[in-house]
Amino acid sequence: MAKSDSMDLTRRAVVGGMGAAGLGATYAALAPRAYAQEKKPIKVSFWTFDNPQQRPWVNKRVKLFTEQNPHVKIDFQWFAFGDLGKKLSVGFATGTAPDGFVSQDWFMPVWLDKNLLAPLDVGKLGYANYQAFAKDFAPAFVEGATVNGKVYGYPMWFYGYCNYLNTKQFKEVGLDPDKDWPQTWDQLGEVAKKLTVKDGDKFTRQGFKFAMHAAQWTMIQFNPILVGAGGSWFDQSGKCIVNNDAGVRAMTIRASIAQKYGAEDPADSIATNPIPGMDFLKERASMFFCHPLPLELVKAQNPAMLEGNYFRPVQYPGSAPGKGISTAYGFNLVINAGASPDKQEVLHDLYKFMMSDLVDAWRDAAPFTFAKKGGWEDNAEVQKFPYVNEIIKAGSNGVALPRTLVFNELADSMHRGVQKIMLSKADIKSTLNEVAAEVDRATAAYKKA
Amino acid sequence: MAELATSQHDELASAESRSWHLHHRRKITLWGIAFVLPTIIFFAVFKYGPMLWAIELSFHSYDMISAPRYVGLDNYRALIADPIFRSTLFNTLIYISCTTTLLTVIGLMLALAINTGIPGARHCMTAMFLSNLMPVIAVCLVWRILLHPYGVVNQLLQHVGFGRIDWLTSEWTAMPSIIMVTVWRFAPYFMVVFLAALLALPDDYYEAAEIDGAGPIRRFFHITLPLLMPTIFFVVVVSALLCARVFLYPYLITGGGPGNATRVLSMLIYETGFSYLKMGQAAAISVVLFAIMLVFTSLQITLFTRSERIYF
Repeated sequence: MAKSDSMDLTRRAVVGGMGAAGLGATYAALAPRAYAQEKKPIKVSFWTFDNPQQRPWVNKRVKLFTEQNPHVKIDFQWFAFGDLGKKLSVGFATGTAPDGFVSQDWFMPVWLDKNLLAPLDVGKLGYANYQAFAKDFAPAFVEGATVNGKVYGYPMWFYGYCNYLNTKQFKEVGLDPDKDWPQTWDQLGEVAKKLTVKDGDKFTRQGFKFAMHAAQWTMIQFNPILVGAGGSWFDQSGKCIVNNDAGVRAMTIRASIAQKYGAEDPADSIATNPIPGMDFLKERASMFFCHPLPLELVKAQNPAMLEGNYFRPVQYPGSAPGKGISTAYGFNLVINAGASPDKQEVLHDLYKFMMSDLVDAWRDAAPFTFAKKGGWEDNAEVQKFPYVNEIIKAGSNGVALPRTLVFNELADSMHRGVQKIMLSKADIKSTLNEVAAEVDRATAAYKKA
Repeated sequence: MAELATSQHDELASAESRSWHLHHRRKITLWGIAFVLPTIIFFAVFKYGPMLWAIELSFHSYDMISAPRYVGLDNYRALIADPIFRSTLFNTLIYISCTTTLLTVIGLMLALAINTGIPGARHCMTAMFLSNLMPVIAVCLVWRILLHPYGVVNQLLQHVGFGRIDWLTSEWTAMPSIIMVTVWRFAPYFMVVFLAALLALPDDYYEAAEIDGAGPIRRFFHITLPLLMPTIFFVVVVSALLCARVFLYPYLITGGGPGNATRVLSMLIYETGFSYLKMGQAAAISVVLFAIMLVFTSLQITLFTRSERIYF
């Protein structure tokens, strides 16, 4: 009986079981697809700048996001750092701008002035309200991404410049890099002079190096000197006042390292756009103002420097010890005002997802710091990075680059001016007068247009 | 009657033949137009269309984002008032005139040297021509290194008693350096052009001159040079047009600096259009450059046509 029952049950069980298994398998196979199909497939385009550390991390987060959201396809493209702004301009002009992109801080005024960006819904980014959002970031950064209480940029990386020292060369000339690092501009000149090595007229080693290769770097390095000297780029009416007394004072400081202390040769540099700190990395210069230096970059250019661990960042010099300020800038995640509402929705989700794990971002792109105040600084992995608190402090104490509608014109004019002063020994006051006049002409033309 | 009929028949046949020929000719013309039409359309759409659009754009304010707005001659007035434009225009004229002159003279001298047939001359020509095959970026990077204050050029000059020369960072030497690099790159190309022309010169003139007792210098100035005039004209026009559009050499070697010493109009067009988003003003600079080239080329055509009349 038992056998018979067992036989009957077995046959039925086999047939029934096969049917059930088939149904189950069919259901199992179809169920997730049916779930996925609940959301309409959507394709969004997203652009960023290229960088050996940052771009791969963005790429990774985009890939992870699309894996978790199979209905979303992201057309991810990246361009050279200096080209992104131009590509975007042409994109907006031809109607081919991406739905979302990473915008350099200093381009925000132009995009905003031309109403090219969509306001962000801070609620969708995980904030209760605007105040909660603003509290989460450095004020200088929120200011650049906000207009009349509306947020247009989700701040990403944000970092300050440090003075990088070659500690081996410091020790060679009897200086203690931990104690004797220059805290005032005069000290910078004196220390740089000590570090300089010459063979007749030829510099074997420059004590300090100002970047001369690109207009952006001229701005980045002169900005804190100008602000530290009590100057500013523009007055309340928008007139360029870089030629006032404070501006002249700042430029005199800028020129003094070469002209007064003889610690720099402005014509001698191997810096390039991709690696502006090349003179420092190749130990042709003992000090250099630079963004946080990735260890991979140091390793690639000078493995001995990384192995010997003989470089470190310190704060900028200032008018008095402890009063050094640096330049700080960063990047925003923004949305094209022309993107459809469903694309904007997806981009909000993408941005929230990207910025949800800053420690992961640090792991991949250290030592580039973030605009967000909490959630990463105290992490053990972050704190393990050499001199990380100096890097964080530089970002916190940094002054933003001027946010102006004629930034490129200003940068180019300043670059020409600095070249004239440093290479042709032109008079500082009259050169700055020329710069201010050029910038005012550009501003007037912009307003007129 | 029969004659009349024959004549009428002939006339009819002739009319038919004429009609057939006309039809045939029209057909050929239509076919000709059909074959040429793609090229005409291509030029209209991709060359003359944009040229005309650029001229129209030069009377507008256009930031590539908002719609263009008519501003009359404002862009041209702004250019006249802009010291950067004036100095860039001056740089461009200096660059064109110096480079064109040097390319023509050095190209001709190299061709004459090769044409002497001294042993190894052909190999020298091949070696020199290689500079034309190198990518521009590589050329510029190599010259940046060579002309570095402590580069090979200065090291060599130090051996013969020169001091340090800041080739690329001094206002006085930066433009000559750019001109030198351009000449280094393109002179061998024009040398080949001159060499082809030299090889095509008839020997009779030289034989007659030799019999009359003319020396090499006299033969050069009274036979070679006049016969080469069409080639010289070609080289001058082509090199001047080439130089007017120069962009990469100053852009990659000096970035337009120091100050504004090596900025040329093409660079200014690029910066004004794509960096400052002033497309209307960039178009106005393009029109100025176009006008300069038009005047320059017309002048050369007039001068050379006159000289050809003298020589032939």
